[in-house]
Amino acid sequence: MLFNSLSFVVFLVIVLALYYLKLFSWTGKKRMLLLASYVFYGLWNPPLVILLWISTVVDWTAGKKLAVEENQKKRKMWLMLSMFVNLGFLAFFKYGDFILENFVALMNAFGVDFQARPMDIILPMGISFYTFQTMSYTIDMYKRKIEPARTFLDFALYVTFFPQLVAGPIVRAKELISQFYEEKKATTNQFIWGLFLLTIGLFQKVVMADTLLADTSDTVFGAGKILNGVDAWIGTIAFSGQIFFDFAGYSTCAIGIALMLGIILPDNFRYPYASLGFSDLWKRWHISLSSWLKDYLYIPLGGNRHGITRMYVALMLTMFLGGLWHGAAWTFIVWGGLHGTYLILERLQQQYLPFKITKWNGIFLAFITFSCVNITWVFFRAREFETAWNMIKSMFYLNQDGAKILQSFDIMKVSIVISLLFLCHWIMRNTSMKEVSLKTPTWVLGVVWAIMFFLIVIAQGSGEQFIYFQF
Amino acid sequence: MQLKQSLIIAVTIGFLSVTAWELYWRSQGHHPNIDDNKNLWANQRAKLENSQENTVAIIGSSRILYDLQLDIWKTETNTDPVMLATQGASPIPVFKDIVDNTDFSGTLLVGVTPPLLFATTYPEAEFMKRSQTLVDYYYNRTYAQRINHKLSVPLQKSLAFIRDGDENWDSDVDLKTLLKNLNPDERGGPIYPPFNNFEDITLERHMKMTKRMENDTAYANTVKKVWTAILSGDHPPPDKDGTIAAFSELAKKFKARGGNLILIRCPSSGLFQMVESKGFPREAFWNVLVEQSGAKAYNYLDYPQFQNLFLPEWSHLALKDAQFFTRELIKIMKSDGALTNYNTN
Repeated sequence: MLFNSLSFVVFLVIVLALYYLKLFSWTGKKRMLLLASYVFYGLWNPPLVILLWISTVVDWTAGKKLAVEENQKKRKMWLMLSMFVNLGFLAFFKYGDFILENFVALMNAFGVDFQARPMDIILPMGISFYTFQTMSYTIDMYKRKIEPARTFLDFALYVTFFPQLVAGPIVRAKELISQFYEEKKATTNQFIWGLFLLTIGLFQKVVMADTLLADTSDTVFGAGKILNGVDAWIGTIAFSGQIFFDFAGYSTCAIGIALMLGIILPDNFRYPYASLGFSDLWKRWHISLSSWLKDYLYIPLGGNRHGITRMYVALMLTMFLGGLWHGAAWTFIVWGGLHGTYLILERLQQQYLPFKITKWNGIFLAFITFSCVNITWVFFRAREFETAWNMIKSMFYLNQDGAKILQSFDIMKVSIVISLLFLCHWIMRNTSMKEVSLKTPTWVLGVVWAIMFFLIVIAQGSGEQFIYFQF
Repeated sequence: MQLKQSLIIAVTIGFLSVTAWELYWRSQGHHPNIDDNKNLWANQRAKLENSQENTVAIIGSSRILYDLQLDIWKTETNTDPVMLATQGASPIPVFKDIVDNTDFSGTLLVGVTPPLLFATTYPEAEFMKRSQTLVDYYYNRTYAQRINHKLSVPLQKSLAFIRDGDENWDSDVDLKTLLKNLNPDERGGPIYPPFNNFEDITLERHMKMTKRMENDTAYANTVKKVWTAILSGDHPPPDKDGTIAAFSELAKKFKARGGNLILIRCPSSGLFQMVESKGFPREAFWNVLVEQSGAKAYNYLDYPQFQNLFLPEWSHLALKDAQFFTRELIKIMKSDGALTNYNTN
């Protein structure tokens, strides 16, 4: 089920009514939320709920055993079971065809005439999100960082909680499970603020991403020809804006919906396009994934504890795998690799060419960072390397006779939207929406809210899926 | 910050703005209507899974969709028509789906619009892809999508600004389309004039042309401009042999299991008729298709009563003439014994 759909409006109203009517005890409400979460997921493809159940049961069992088991060998075995099941799901459902394709290519490269039919496996929505979430529980249990969930119901709800089930934020057990122990009820202000966040999230998705930016990006990346530099840049920054509004919109909706239930989810984006460098970027973009990768991949790989070379290797590996997490294609790996390279270059700059960031050079540095990020989006969005490479060449004006495919109005529209996005991130980078809203007159907030609602209604949207559902 | 007051202001202004928006579009001549989309098509396609003896399936493109009036068909033949014609598309993918994936063996009417049917069998071509997308959607639609459709129907029936179409030509009052039409220029290639809506369809896909298209010549001319732009563009040559071979193979399979296949060439006029008669001469295209498929066939050119019908935008019949065309066609087919499963009760 999509947040930007009529069925979700009805679903949410029913869930909120059942949650706030005095029909159930707290345990009954949690059961209702769990059932609602399965319905939310199952209305897309009912049989795939079974994967959620398997993941839940395996990690619950592993967590329970890890809580009492003292034998280190056995503890490791329980951890391995969890990893095997979750990563096995990912390997089969998400990377099956990719692995097969590359195996065939490798065989052919060695002169072995081997062909295999693609397996055409359906990709379960949000599999990368919920497998990472459940694995974090077992790993933390293994490291004795957290207490086991008190009941199976609490754990199952942690794995399946519908607001963040299919596209995050990827929440750690200690942040969410403990919230289920005591009865939760949003205060009036929390409820209204949650509704406001839901409106902002839908506005970002339906109006900004789908209505204002998606067509330009799709036209440019689907053109199938060599483009003029202006068109290549506009298509790229349109995608840059689209993916931010799409994904941040989902996260904002998720945080708002959870808040309407009295549950607090962590921030997933903090104005990333005004980042001052790439370390800063990864503290602001998809925060729940970058902190997951840091805690469960980069640090176990050695982090910065074994010298500079090992640190760079760990960084690159983390970013390569972070790229692969997004999709089963080499273009995603290159995207991750570029970000890894940026991070290494940034550390070298800090070591050999340090300079102080002031309010004068800050916006310039943020603009450079944003421009470099845009270059990486080309690899993220392009389906093939040929498209990506042609786009990059066009962006650096190496294709003098490239085709002009965008109308002047589209160029102006995207330029204005992305300039405003950048400036807005710059202005907001050291504050939060909540802080700004506290300083905003009541009537202004009401009018802004009404404008967003009106634009969502007249944009209508066509129920476009969120981009990150495929990851 | 007084969030409660902000919410009250937002709800009040939001409600007033949406009401004003609705009234504005009504004042511009827009009325609530259902959009022809993949959900309507999939619901009709589902009927073929349990088709009755008297089910008649109709495939083709927009001409047969507009020109065959389902209410008249129902009363005149006592059969149950399932309308699967697809606007702007080749019928071949739908025919293939019916032949390969159903055991339907009743009467299948195929509307032949030469520039679409004889264009290509290449799956990625626009005319093929559009039909195939509908077939794929039928098999892949989720329960959530079914519910969304059910919930959108009352909104479409009540509000003029609500649109739920899949194609560019369906949406003329949503924000994206309004922005697109704001200030077009030719930097990115030629600009097509806006394709104004002229469809009035029911949930059963009974299509009627709107009164505005019949009565407002200037409005009809806007659509003629679109056709002129499309027809004068560069198009690859038709794949006559490939399309006829693909169609005939499916026809053979369908007839072998007892299906009754009927080809219908609906009227066209003006520039369309000129382009079709020159680019798709009857002897080289229609006659060969009829011969190789072995189907019963009806071409409007053979009947004097179909010569002077009113097609406001050259391609589709005005409602009254569509009703006449349907009645007359049924009469002709009945007298030929072409309709094998119609019920006289």
